[in-house]
Amino acid sequence: MSGKKILIIDDDQPLLLGLTTRLKANGYSVVTAADAISALTVARKELPDLIILDLGLPGGDGFLVLERIRSLADLAATPVIVLSARDPAGNRKRSLDAGAVAFFQKPPDNHEFLNAIRQALGETIALSAFLKT
Amino acid sequence: MTSETLGRVEDASENPPQPAPYTIEAVELSPSLRAELLDLEAWGEILTTYGRTMGVAVALTDAQGRLLGETHNAQPVWKLMHDAAPGWGGGCPFCVTSGLPCTAVAEALHAGGVVMTRDQAGLTHVAVPLLLGKQPLGAIIAGQVFDRYPEPLPLRRAAKEFHVAPQQLWDVARKQRPVSGASLRASGDLLCALGHAFLQQRYAAILETRLAETNGHFRLLVEEVRDYALFTMDPIGRVTSWNCGAERLLGYAEAEIVGRNFSCIFTPEDIRNRVPESQLHEAMQAGRAENDGWRVPANRKQFWADVNITALLGDAGAIRSFAIIMQDTTERRRIAALLEETRLERGRLQEEFVSHVSHELRTPLTAIYFFITNLFDGLLGDLTPEQHATLALAVDNIKQLKDMVSDLLDITRVETHKLTVEPQYASPVKLVAEVLSTCLTNAALKNINLCSGIAPDLPFVWADPARVRQILINLIDNGIKFTPEGGTVTVGSRTFPETHGFLCLSVSDTGCGISPENCERIFERLTQIKSGGETSRGGLGLGLFISKELVLRHGGRIWVESRMGLGSTFYFTLPVFSLARLCAPVFKTATLELGCVTLMALDVVAVEAVIQADLLSEMRTVLERCIRPGQDVLLPAMSDTGPIGSFFIVACACDSGSSVIASRIRRELQNFDRTSKLKPAVSSTMLQVALGESGEEQFDKIAARIEQLIQAHLLDKESLK
Repeated sequence: MSGKKILIIDDDQPLLLGLTTRLKANGYSVVTAADAISALTVARKELPDLIILDLGLPGGDGFLVLERIRSLADLAATPVIVLSARDPAGNRKRSLDAGAVAFFQKPPDNHEFLNAIRQALGETIALSAFLKT
Repeated sequence: MTSETLGRVEDASENPPQPAPYTIEAVELSPSLRAELLDLEAWGEILTTYGRTMGVAVALTDAQGRLLGETHNAQPVWKLMHDAAPGWGGGCPFCVTSGLPCTAVAEALHAGGVVMTRDQAGLTHVAVPLLLGKQPLGAIIAGQVFDRYPEPLPLRRAAKEFHVAPQQLWDVARKQRPVSGASLRASGDLLCALGHAFLQQRYAAILETRLAETNGHFRLLVEEVRDYALFTMDPIGRVTSWNCGAERLLGYAEAEIVGRNFSCIFTPEDIRNRVPESQLHEAMQAGRAENDGWRVPANRKQFWADVNITALLGDAGAIRSFAIIMQDTTERRRIAALLEETRLERGRLQEEFVSHVSHELRTPLTAIYFFITNLFDGLLGDLTPEQHATLALAVDNIKQLKDMVSDLLDITRVETHKLTVEPQYASPVKLVAEVLSTCLTNAALKNINLCSGIAPDLPFVWADPARVRQILINLIDNGIKFTPEGGTVTVGSRTFPETHGFLCLSVSDTGCGISPENCERIFERLTQIKSGGETSRGGLGLGLFISKELVLRHGGRIWVESRMGLGSTFYFTLPVFSLARLCAPVFKTATLELGCVTLMALDVVAVEAVIQADLLSEMRTVLERCIRPGQDVLLPAMSDTGPIGSFFIVACACDSGSSVIASRIRRELQNFDRTSKLKPAVSSTMLQVALGESGEEQFDKIAARIEQLIQAHLLDKESLK
């Protein structure tokens, strides 16, 4: 259990619930935000180790949020993984160009998604954890 | 049959056939042409003159030996017999016999020479063949004369047969002037040569008349065509003829334009760019040129023209003139553009709609996916085996739903031409292995044996890995879907000698098979063949259509071979990666003068765990500035991005040359503001090139060697990861 903190920014409550369960089961602590404005407030308050970001958000586009996160000194180095229902064509490159470490289209494969999270957090993949997922 | 053949003249050396001015064998002689060639009026004069001079009877026959027209200078004995039996029209017009006719004409035509024959009354005649090339036209027969003193006995027999008084016949026969066999034969040869020459001359004259007629008709036709401009030009592009269609379309009268260069109907821009000259040049080189573009008529109101230029060759094979056919397609083009625009607009709307729908579907689908997988993986408590099995089915169905949503978007992209592939250097072995591990669960669920029969040493392909995975998964999932429990799905590879440069992958199943009439249809969109009464499972029937489109976009081909009840095998081909093709622009004798090629590898190790894709693409831009265009090649990405990124440069340079490039790279990378995140390392290997060897074979060898080096380098890095 690494106990690292992950912030999920997504306006879909069921998704937040489902993904939170999955992440908690993998030993992370999770905080959530459901719109662009509260996302930044929560991020600055909680200073998460990693951010999972949706692109279509009420109160502002995900890219705007990403840009703001990158411009804030205490969040600039926090890895961001984009998880969006949008088409990867175009959006993947745009996300990576804007400073995200990975782009996943919804629904992501659990295994690949968790691997990306671990990689972004600089964690090595323990065989036991690998077998558990 | 009482006539006997006395001898024939067929020695070619004595009587060489004259060479025909036309290749007559190739011409089918029509009945009307035959009749014209044997026109009695034309032949009449020759035949009468000949008969009178030689003192023999002479006549024309057809190829079957039947008399054509009259007998000139008929001889007394024959005339007497003929008058006595007015109804007598035996087979041979010259033989005095009531028996079988002589075969002199047939023999002469067969042998191609003069044949001499004597009838039962002792009268002799020769048959002279009339041949055009090898085609028999008819014959000239000449004779009705005794070639020796008349014999009483045969004459008496003939008199009896033809009801003529024997004494009267004898008197006439004695008075008839005999002609010796030798002189009859000699005159026959003369007649043969004469006839042949006359026939040739007639043939040429007839052809000329006909040609003139045809030309006249054709000219009339060309002049009367109104919807097409038809005109001719001399080899340097000056107009030489101009039809009424050209006048109507381009507004110039024939008198105005003949003699002017055809460039006057081009736009000023085309004239500046020397388009007219290049079109003539193309037509001159290839024999014809097709093009379209704006043309300017006399009233300066441009129209879009479809133009066809044909070079007309003279006798010596040199270009004598050009024929041009031009049509105004402005309206057709406008409508086509309008249709295409409407189609694209419809496609755009459709894509927008589908994109919106798929986006809306994905959000709840994701929540469902998380809930179900959370349950399935036991994150929310332990499950009974039944619950676990039910949830496995649910997971499977969510995956199907997800694929369908992706397919929907791909299908609209086909229509808006947005379905693209991004090929790169990829290992088919690795791709197949990845796909097999993904599909294993699905196969196990249906108790289907999924196996690989792929050769371990397959060449790398030039393909989009994500798309190849998509194609393979599609085919494998189909195989699993249509194969009964306990069956087998096999991924294999094949090479076809006829599809050089392509690799063929296959997916075989032991399913229900596809009927021959459906083997083509299944690649069409929205096709799903019902399998023998069994309700087929799910899917939109888009998978194979999308697979086909993806394979086509790689430049490959997809097809299926199937036997009902035994199973099907789907094949598709992908282009094999060819370093030789990639390096072809720089592998030239001039650039290889130094005698060496250097492979440079630049490895960047990221400080972070993963190199970001955009960083690599920025580096690529930097490296492109460092190489010398036309002499070096920056190879495309050779491996999937990990913590190490590798770039390769093939430089036509020796060690000192490549160190110049290396220092340039280092300098550029220092200015590159993100270098702090990278640890670049440049290494190089030099290859000697023996210029003695010839051309492409040698370039292929160099390319193969470089490819080996790259693979070794990548393996090395792989182990570091």
